[in-house]
Amino acid sequence: MARAAISGDSGTRKLLLGNEAIARGAVEAGISAAAAYPGTPSTEILEALAEVAEEYGVYVEWSTNEKVALEVGIGVSMMGLRALVAMKHVGLNVASDPLMSLGYTGVVGGLVVVSADDPNAHSSQNEQDNRYYGLHSYIPVFEPSGVQEAKDMTRELFQLSEEHRTAVILRTTTRLSHSRGEVMFGAVERVHREPVFHRDPERWALLPPYSLRKHREVLERIRTLEEKLGEWPFNRFVEGDGDTLIVSAGFAHAYVREALDWLKVNPPLLKLASTYPLPRALAKRALEFRKIVVVEELEPFVEDQLRAFAQREGSSAEIHGKDLFPRVGELNTALVASGLSKALGVSFDPPRGNAAGVELPPRPPTLCPGCGHRSTYYAVKLAAARARVKPVWANDIGCYTLGFFPPFRMADFTWSMGSALGIGMGIARFSKDPVVAFIGDSTFYHAGIPGLINAVYNQYPIVVVVMDNGVTAMTGHQPHPGSGYGPTGEKRPAIPVENLARACGVEFVEVVPAYEVARLRDAVERAIKYAREKNAPAVVVARQFCALEELRMKRMRGEAVVPYVIDQAKCVKCGICVDQFSCPAIVRENGSIKILTELCAGCGVCASICPAKAIGPLSG
Amino acid sequence: MIRSVVISGVGGQGLLTMGELLGEALIERGFKVSVGEIHGLSQRGGSVVVFVKYGDVQPSPIVVEGEANALVGLELIETARRVQLLAPTGIVLANNYLLPPPASQKIPGREELIEAIRRAARNVILINAVELARKAGSSVAVNMVMLGALAASGAVDLGLADLKGVVEKKFTGRTGEVNARALILGFEEAQKQLREKA
Repeated sequence: MARAAISGDSGTRKLLLGNEAIARGAVEAGISAAAAYPGTPSTEILEALAEVAEEYGVYVEWSTNEKVALEVGIGVSMMGLRALVAMKHVGLNVASDPLMSLGYTGVVGGLVVVSADDPNAHSSQNEQDNRYYGLHSYIPVFEPSGVQEAKDMTRELFQLSEEHRTAVILRTTTRLSHSRGEVMFGAVERVHREPVFHRDPERWALLPPYSLRKHREVLERIRTLEEKLGEWPFNRFVEGDGDTLIVSAGFAHAYVREALDWLKVNPPLLKLASTYPLPRALAKRALEFRKIVVVEELEPFVEDQLRAFAQREGSSAEIHGKDLFPRVGELNTALVASGLSKALGVSFDPPRGNAAGVELPPRPPTLCPGCGHRSTYYAVKLAAARARVKPVWANDIGCYTLGFFPPFRMADFTWSMGSALGIGMGIARFSKDPVVAFIGDSTFYHAGIPGLINAVYNQYPIVVVVMDNGVTAMTGHQPHPGSGYGPTGEKRPAIPVENLARACGVEFVEVVPAYEVARLRDAVERAIKYAREKNAPAVVVARQFCALEELRMKRMRGEAVVPYVIDQAKCVKCGICVDQFSCPAIVRENGSIKILTELCAGCGVCASICPAKAIGPLSG
Repeated sequence: MIRSVVISGVGGQGLLTMGELLGEALIERGFKVSVGEIHGLSQRGGSVVVFVKYGDVQPSPIVVEGEANALVGLELIETARRVQLLAPTGIVLANNYLLPPPASQKIPGREELIEAIRRAARNVILINAVELARKAGSSVAVNMVMLGALAASGAVDLGLADLKGVVEKKFTGRTGEVNARALILGFEEAQKQLREKA
């Protein structure tokens, strides 16, 4: 195996992803533990740490969800040790309950909470700006402007966290998390600390008499930080020409620097790396300018804080921001240059390219060839037809969300982790049509179980199809409580979905291999009838190990994949395989249907559903 | 001076690896590099684009319309989709390969796509990369063929030797040999075509 991305001595230079740089920074700070739930664009942070867990003595875990991950991190901090917790932006919603009180209590060992936001919602349900969580919970927020800074800043934040006894939020965005840049490594700090539980019930037990006192304390802590962060080296004032100050927050700085180069101007610049609380001295200095232009991605977070500060200071500085730059989607150099040109009164001629001028078919992501989710959707659709019902299709977050797209169209809604069950129940209470909920294995462990218990207890006639492929597939095959192994491949106990479903009180639980379309169809048909007759939930576990991972393992073992082919003499061109099953390996070409052998995963499901028996494994 | 390359294709064609290798080769030549990628959903056979930008100062990771010096397309629909990112003086290196998205109704023909790309860009080199990759030893090595072609185009400050160096460092054994061969085949093919044009 190649050497781990973030392994190396001080002075090593490597091309790292932003996420890997954060992981390296945490290693250099001598963390003892890291916990996370996978979610794009945050996943590679823990993956990178897992690779060096042994080398640098870091405990790593994939937690069942983000709330648990943050709580583990808080516990480690109470032991006086340093911990990193990582999640995608919507993951912090799940962890927000412990987060809000963490603001009050503060920490002992340094605790960095990474929130990987996703402007443009590249792989998310929304583009929420998690910097407000900092403001909301009194936890300071930091935003690196590049990959090297992500490494350096992460390292420093552990120090700052301990010095001020506060957790910190390190906020990244997709373009930082998933950009590569060169990183120069620093030395790995060996933090030799005896793990000791810092017993302090009046601090840790969040009971009424102490909460108000803690609220006062945290206000004081934030005031101190407002003063101290003015001298924090990652915040920087750069002199320039004119009386208009440009303020860049976090990663927006990368575009600002480039845009100023395009515009050939050199205005004074305030690069802000700590965006909550606003460093008082720097904000004051900013107000000395006649005009201030704040450049930041998504919401006017810094802009509004600065406006409030200006009002309190009685300043008449003209403040601009979201009047010049979009609030929706990502920034880029052209957008920033356009906004800055208006503010600075210089001309800007944006570069133009030629469009192809032909109508291009969209190419949304698809379920892979050999994916068990495809045969499951196909079988469930057949079951509904046999039962003569038109179910409401409740869907959830994972690869199987792709069931939204044609030909399946089996996602009437997708919301947040576990919502297929929760929202599905609200619908089921009043719907004449049955509700069929699809949820993946990892999502089931993460947020499905309380919903399932609710379905039993409150008697909901909901059919739950657990699409179990053994791993958290969408984010790159991380293990979960059903996988039987941990982040570094070590053995861990497996907790099968069906055992949990039965333990929740579900009486109808069937487990069917997802490739066996007829058996799965019959099981789901029985489940639909059972739910209706008994007014109780029914669970069908459709199990097939992730095809992508299976293929990778076969390749590693040197096993050949035997592709399937269509016997053109037998094919009646009914189109079931290509239009209704819709495997990406099956295509129409010049009036006939064929299988692209280089894409075929050899699952053979198409052969089993072909009414003409025209499909079989390639022989010879 | 910042220069940029856009790599466009279908999830699973090895675009992220291309971005990484280009990035590493450029760093070895002393440039500051940003490689912009999108992970997650896009890996599942969706449309994928990778940006590589470099210069003497740290560039941003996004290439905007009309900015790219080169567009490397691994599939024709995806090449056409991103051609607008190319600067008027830029060059297109396109794999002559059409992979229609599954279940799509209206698909432009191969000739129609090539013509559209040629209308949008002055300089277009078509490479039969699948064939060359097979010749090198594996149809998976299409990405390496296209990297080789890029090196021949002169659009980036890299030669074949620079890319061979990082490929040999990253891959060992048979994969390394196949990849190095694919790189050379792509380089030679593009060089031949460019010579014929000149």
